[in-house]
Amino acid sequence: MIKTGRYGTVSWDPTGTPPVPPATAPLIISLNKWKASFKTDKLDVTCFGDVNRVYIPGMKDVSGTVAGFWNSAEIALFEAADAEAPGFLALAPNSTEPDFNWSGSAYMDADIDCSVDGAPTVSGTFMAAGPWTFAHTP
Amino acid sequence: MPSPPNSSAIANSLIGVLLADPQLAALMPDGVYYDVARAGAKRFVIVSFVDGVDIATYDGRAIESALYLVKAVALASTGGNVEAAAERIDALLEDQFWTIAPGLELMTCFRSGNVLRTTEPDSTNPELYWNHRGGRYRLDVALTPYRTLGRLTGNEQNGRVTP
Repeated sequence: MIKTGRYGTVSWDPTGTPPVPPATAPLIISLNKWKASFKTDKLDVTCFGDVNRVYIPGMKDVSGTVAGFWNSAEIALFEAADAEAPGFLALAPNSTEPDFNWSGSAYMDADIDCSVDGAPTVSGTFMAAGPWTFAHTP
Repeated sequence: MPSPPNSSAIANSLIGVLLADPQLAALMPDGVYYDVARAGAKRFVIVSFVDGVDIATYDGRAIESALYLVKAVALASTGGNVEAAAERIDALLEDQFWTIAPGLELMTCFRSGNVLRTTEPDSTNPELYWNHRGGRYRLDVALTPYRTLGRLTGNEQNGRVTP
């Protein structure tokens, strides 16, 4: 079913321990956007005689971004950026369907953008530090 | 499901700040009004909503940004000093902070546009003129989280309805 992104969630457990289910990890507040990419490298195996380039899949990459507003009550994103060990990240498109989510071990970077004409915004970049899973009911 | 705080408190608090100031009251003794002044008022302040935008996070409404026109209005024959009143309005609002209501915290108030003195004829008596002077003030208000985002398990939906 198509659902709104208004109730998306970003969960982060700095201990890196995968909770069960994954979306029960602590939520990072004041975020309003996340984006994940699951692109797989494609290896060029084009040979003499091929009429076009030919590829085979290589290794899948998992990375993405989160974004929202700076909230002094919530510094988990920046603590994550300072952490030497990876944490556990879970991303759900809609909290009313918590059984649909992507999760796994990840490293996190953080940025903050403070402009005179608005509330300071934060963003984070994550990349996999271990195997990721896509939980879904069907 | 928990509801966000009442947004009307924002404009009410703005009017309250203006009403509470004795200097402004001395300059514009007929009061502070929302949109329309009472009949017979000749030196007053008008507050009008211009536009607003709500900014959401996954936690719900996070910021209300509202633009208000705040101006002093005076019948020219009364000698009402709209320039002085506008200056006092600016002193009361620009970069000032005040309490709005539980759950609504004023992040900033600033003038986003000057409203230079304008003069218009009275709608019934063309020999009378009204002077206007003020500014457009933006209020950015942060909402403290009004719904608790607990951990989601199974079919528990955090009190939210399925959209």
